[in-house]
Amino acid sequence: MNGTEGQMTHPESGVLAEFRAGLVTGRRRASIASHLEACDRCAGLSDHLGEIPVLLAAAPAPAMPDDVARRLDLVLAAEAAKRDSSERAVDDSPAHRPATPGPRRRWDFRLVTQRILVPAAAVVVLAAGGFGLSRVIGSSPSSSAAAGSEAAPATGQPANGPAAAPSEATSRSGAHPAIESPLNFPVVNSGTNYLRATLARQLETELQRQARSAAGPQVLASGSLKGCVQRVTQGTRPGTLALVERARFQGQPAIVIVAVSGGHDAAWVTAPGCSASSAHVLATATLPGTSAS
Amino acid sequence: MPATVSISGPSSGGESPSDAELLRRHVAGDTDAFGELFRRHRDRLWAVALRTVCDPEEAADALQDAMISAFRRAGDFRGDSAVTTWLHRIVVNACLDRLRRRAVRPVTSAGDEQALEALVAHDPDPARATDTRLDVDAALRMLPAPQRAALVMVDMLGFSVDDAAAILDISPGTVKSRCARARARLLPYVAHLRGNRSASERVSPAQGGDT
Repeated sequence: MNGTEGQMTHPESGVLAEFRAGLVTGRRRASIASHLEACDRCAGLSDHLGEIPVLLAAAPAPAMPDDVARRLDLVLAAEAAKRDSSERAVDDSPAHRPATPGPRRRWDFRLVTQRILVPAAAVVVLAAGGFGLSRVIGSSPSSSAAAGSEAAPATGQPANGPAAAPSEATSRSGAHPAIESPLNFPVVNSGTNYLRATLARQLETELQRQARSAAGPQVLASGSLKGCVQRVTQGTRPGTLALVERARFQGQPAIVIVAVSGGHDAAWVTAPGCSASSAHVLATATLPGTSAS
Repeated sequence: MPATVSISGPSSGGESPSDAELLRRHVAGDTDAFGELFRRHRDRLWAVALRTVCDPEEAADALQDAMISAFRRAGDFRGDSAVTTWLHRIVVNACLDRLRRRAVRPVTSAGDEQALEALVAHDPDPARATDTRLDVDAALRMLPAPQRAALVMVDMLGFSVDDAAAILDISPGTVKSRCARARARLLPYVAHLRGNRSASERVSPAQGGDT
């Protein structure tokens, strides 16, 4: 039992650790045990090994940073509303519930951007080819040129043409509030300056950034902003907010709202004074969203 | 948040429903149940994620992945383990997936060890908790992800070997051996983890004496 082999070789630290974890059995175990009785050095190492769990357990637990907590709340609220809407759409049957869409994918903007210019109801439709906004129908020359030149390479699917957007375009005046009772959603305050020509791509970037990490300082929405969101998203039907951001549009302060709505993500840019009673929509974009493809 | 307890579950008598009850309500369509469940455990889940991936951004991403996954797959929960075990498993898997995909950290490197040495060299005050934590984080970073995950579960978060095995979906023996190897790897840094007390001082003079 007290064999000489135990005294002769110092076990490696890995073996000592396994010994302590009860992973060494039989003669080998006995040999190490007797070695530890005789060898101060190895006994000391063994003690240190036993100390490691104590030291690790004593390390203070990191608190979840506030921005992470807020971001998770937002994602969760979106997820809950998404489920809610898909359930309502699928006849409330639990068996159909797994139809929730997959994780947010890289957006490809094959859609159409529809624009309502302030101050009045001059509706301008931007047709998008492929990925970027590549064609402008009836718009100011400057933004038209910019849209053409700044269009991203067409990596997405072919444009669906204006037909892809009509649900947003036609149902906006519908009676269904998209966000039935806006919760306390956080609002991102960013310095982003969205431009007509690059709105789609900028939104893509922003949403990806949102998905990766909290984007900029957030505050809870004010009452008027909730009203604004409710008003603006009307007609989107059961949907949920993906992003509410105070940013700039064409250099002017603006509010950007993106809602998930049955297979699409709809984006609005409104003037900053937007409220439940008045919403100047500066631009909109309808994007294939989380549940598309 | 309005307290809408519309479903009269069997265990909903008390002021706070059990994890399993919340999950059941969630599956039954309760909009708020999952949020309540997640918030209940999120600090611990955050610790798991952060310690497993060793990077706050990656941890946040992994936790978000896991949260969505748990939200959607709640119906798959069979009740053969605790809800917390199930949640932890999803979080750990999301973390390990991310590590696998991105190879955030190579297993270990001389650079890490040098970084650790530099770190402890600058810490003259062993009593400061934040510095100790830095040491722990730096030390954890030196471990291969599978070892780290096991060690975090057992040594840092205090899960039993069996629970850790269930969470990590490996055998208890594998948990033990990964923990053992991880401890052996950290052995040279015990003094640093301990603070800057001399390496020859022992916390528990269980066997033998100092030389």
